[in-house]
Amino acid sequence: MLTIRWLWYILLSCYLAFASMGISAQEKTGNREGFELEPGSVRIALLEPSVRVGSQSTGGMFEPNADWTEQAKENLEAELARKQELLGNEIVRLSLDNVPQNRELVQYHALFGAVASSVIEYQFFPGNRLPTKKKSKAFEWSVGPGLADIESLNGFDYILLIRTKDAYGSTGRKLLQVAGLLGAVAGFGTAVQSGEHIGMAGLVDVKTGDLVWLNADLAMGGDVRKVEGAEKRVRQLLEGFPGSSDSEN
Amino acid sequence: MWLKLFAAILTASIAAPTVAAEPEALPPYVPAYDPTTVDERGLWNQADELELLYKRSEHLIEDEELNAFVRRILCNTVGNDRCDGVRIYILNVPAFNASMMPNGAMAVWSGLLLRLRSEANLASVLAHEFAHFELRHNLQGFKNRRSASDMLAWTVVLGNAAAVDTRNSQISLFGSIFRFNRNMERQADLLALQYLKQSPYPSRASSQVWQYLMEEADARAAGRKIRRKDRYRAGFFDTHPTSLDRADYLLEKSMEYGDTGNAEQTAYFDAIQPWLPKLLADQVRLNDFGGTEYLLGNIAGVTGWTPELVLARAELYATRGKPRDLITATTLYLDAIDKGHETSEVLRGLGLSLVKSGRRKEGAEYLGRYLAQNPDAPDAAIIKMYVPKGDE
Repeated sequence: MLTIRWLWYILLSCYLAFASMGISAQEKTGNREGFELEPGSVRIALLEPSVRVGSQSTGGMFEPNADWTEQAKENLEAELARKQELLGNEIVRLSLDNVPQNRELVQYHALFGAVASSVIEYQFFPGNRLPTKKKSKAFEWSVGPGLADIESLNGFDYILLIRTKDAYGSTGRKLLQVAGLLGAVAGFGTAVQSGEHIGMAGLVDVKTGDLVWLNADLAMGGDVRKVEGAEKRVRQLLEGFPGSSDSEN
Repeated sequence: MWLKLFAAILTASIAAPTVAAEPEALPPYVPAYDPTTVDERGLWNQADELELLYKRSEHLIEDEELNAFVRRILCNTVGNDRCDGVRIYILNVPAFNASMMPNGAMAVWSGLLLRLRSEANLASVLAHEFAHFELRHNLQGFKNRRSASDMLAWTVVLGNAAAVDTRNSQISLFGSIFRFNRNMERQADLLALQYLKQSPYPSRASSQVWQYLMEEADARAAGRKIRRKDRYRAGFFDTHPTSLDRADYLLEKSMEYGDTGNAEQTAYFDAIQPWLPKLLADQVRLNDFGGTEYLLGNIAGVTGWTPELVLARAELYATRGKPRDLITATTLYLDAIDKGHETSEVLRGLGLSLVKSGRRKEGAEYLGRYLAQNPDAPDAAIIKMYVPKGDE
């Protein structure tokens, strides 16, 4: 407890939470140009998904909830296992605990999260595109070469990475939201966003490290704490998965 | 009217969150504590995930002896039953820090080990972190930040609704979060002191840690030609009491306790000896001439100028590399050789210092010996440029 990292956390959660976010013009899927996957042609490793579930306090802080997280993990894993055959290619789930070089894999998981966040920020919001990328629509993102050196990925062509974070708005947060709206009657209104549901699924080429497909959204649907909700969430996460026979869904 | 009421509630609640008065007796010990509330279980769950990151971190130092040593000091201090609930992770970070997660995972940075002078110093830091765990400060801090940020959110929304300027209230709410944290730190300091009092170590060693840190900070400031800071009172955004404040109240309390014991200075340096060369090399690379010179002098005060310390000092001067520094560095490298420490680091450093100060021939001789010892060194190709052909 000698660190001050939560200082940023408070500042961000308190103040950013009030900024109203216009998510209307956002894209949700990216595909590397010319990338296609023939069904039955490749082997894909599904890395243990990163799942965090909790609630959002009145002030906007994330309150981790152990039961919800466990429940959501169970639901999402079950649903992913059920979906695998519909995805067109052989998918093998890799647990991060039992494989050699899991340190590297964990780091790549986190790096994928950072890259995907950059994609959301700088590619999916067209207004945010960097000056040199304004005109090009190319989807060129990578976690860098190096995956190929990881032994446990030998024999796999791609890895599928999934990350979700859900913060369900607490009663207090919802009341605050209403009060923020009603405030406009007397003085000034305040836009308060209640709840946060981030999900990202991406396919990374093991040989090159290129991100070949990404589906990411800051406002995902489906209550992951329930079985039906998890079904909807996984469907949204894997929407448009390359080579999938389930795309009409 | 309602706005006044709101303001009254707000003022009351800003004043309200305080940490319980300092503990006079050690808290009762609960074996195999399991969290029960939603908040605490959530925090433990999150901590379990973070702990996996420690376990898988490439910065983790897994050396069994060093880990056993740090663990032994903790157990000596807080007792064998209590220390069973704690897992210690030594991380390779060359700065002074240690931290505690709510689930009993403790991180100790390698730079901490270089900045302490005795087992008793280490005991005081470990006991401080343990006190955070024992008093469940992580949960308390979380709840405090949540209620303060809840209040802050209502202040903003209702203030906007009533078109009232609430900036002062917002600032006090922010301040309350940091004040609460400072109080928890103070509380952990004082509980740690009680553990030290009933341990084989003298509790006065706690205050020393902060004195060392202040002296190092002064030396660093002098080396960088910046103003040194001497503050008694913590600033608005400070998460901890100032070092001066801590050194002072810890000394006062330990004088009150009046306990004595062996701080185990020699045993401490014996234990970290195998890691000392690495810790010193990391420190030299921090580009902190004043601070490093201070640390070296202080360690030498306990262990004498061992060849490892002389080498580190030579590297420090060679790294800064002003013409005068190269003369000092050359002398120190030669001293290290005289002490029987003719390692490849010494040969390489000495050779390069000589080459840089214009004595190419003598330098080439030492570099040639370095290459003979390490034909496959990663820098062999570049070092060869200084060695005339045929001399190898």
